[in-house]
Amino acid sequence: MTFNIRQYKKMLEENHVEVIYSGPIWASSIDGIAELLLKRLEYEEIPLSASQSVFSVFVEQMSNIMMYSAEKEKLISSSGALMEASKGIYILGIQGSTYFIQTGNVVTESSAEILKERIERLNSMDKKELRQYYKQQMLADNDNPESKGAGIGLIEIARRASVPISYEFDSLGNGLLYFTMNVIIKQGGKV
Amino acid sequence: MAFFLERQSATSTPYVLIDEKKSYMKLEGRCFYENVAEFFKEVNDWLDAYLVTDFGTFTFDCAINYFNSSTTKLLLNMLFKMDKYSSAENQVIVNWITTEDNEIMIECGEDFAEDLNNLEFNMVIT
Repeated sequence: MTFNIRQYKKMLEENHVEVIYSGPIWASSIDGIAELLLKRLEYEEIPLSASQSVFSVFVEQMSNIMMYSAEKEKLISSSGALMEASKGIYILGIQGSTYFIQTGNVVTESSAEILKERIERLNSMDKKELRQYYKQQMLADNDNPESKGAGIGLIEIARRASVPISYEFDSLGNGLLYFTMNVIIKQGGKV
Repeated sequence: MAFFLERQSATSTPYVLIDEKKSYMKLEGRCFYENVAEFFKEVNDWLDAYLVTDFGTFTFDCAINYFNSSTTKLLLNMLFKMDKYSSAENQVIVNWITTEDNEIMIECGEDFAEDLNNLEFNMVIT
């Protein structure tokens, strides 16, 4: 089988996709993608707040994929070290002064319920409420050493998004769903 | 012997300097390292031991220009610890160094400062 690269390239261009990553994601792999993204953003003539927002959403989405992806892959290094990676897709699209950051990964039904509830809650808040909620969760989380972030990353994403976060869950059967999230950042912040 | 630590920055970790002789600590750059607790363990261990001594005046220059949500939590804990041990005799001074266009860091500094009661918190906009 030969993958049709030209067709793929055409599709990416038609959809204004600038950067795409699909594959295993693990803690130290984030640095590599981050480096590329930072370099790419240097060439965008946009205010620091916009490029930082794009970068921040990327970082938190990567953490979310590692936390929620139900599709894991075991990799073994040449020295024999075992590492478990989460599979996911990350896309940065640029259309004029609008940036869209999309991610996709497999989740379990219970994760899907949590994600849906959290995103809906965040989408109902304005920027000021999100800032307060972020701080409140940060302080609450501090008292609970067992908590693994308690969705603080999602609040950060919502704070940087210019419009409500859109998302979809497609059933894959066997209690699994494919989760896609779309975050839009416009120059000049929240509209 | 006075503790000294200097680490250069990397893609996801900041420049770190601790010079106990000068009662000085500095963080600069970006921080979004996944295992942030591990990265800051040495810093935190030193702070735990140092803050209970009669240090007189201790200055922390925080010039981080971006950090992720898990680092935010770690940094907040660090500041709470400094705040707890800051008094008239042993004063902790935190300089939150950022640039005018870095709205995210300015907002974060403002939010942190609200809950710090004893230490001196200076927003330094360059």
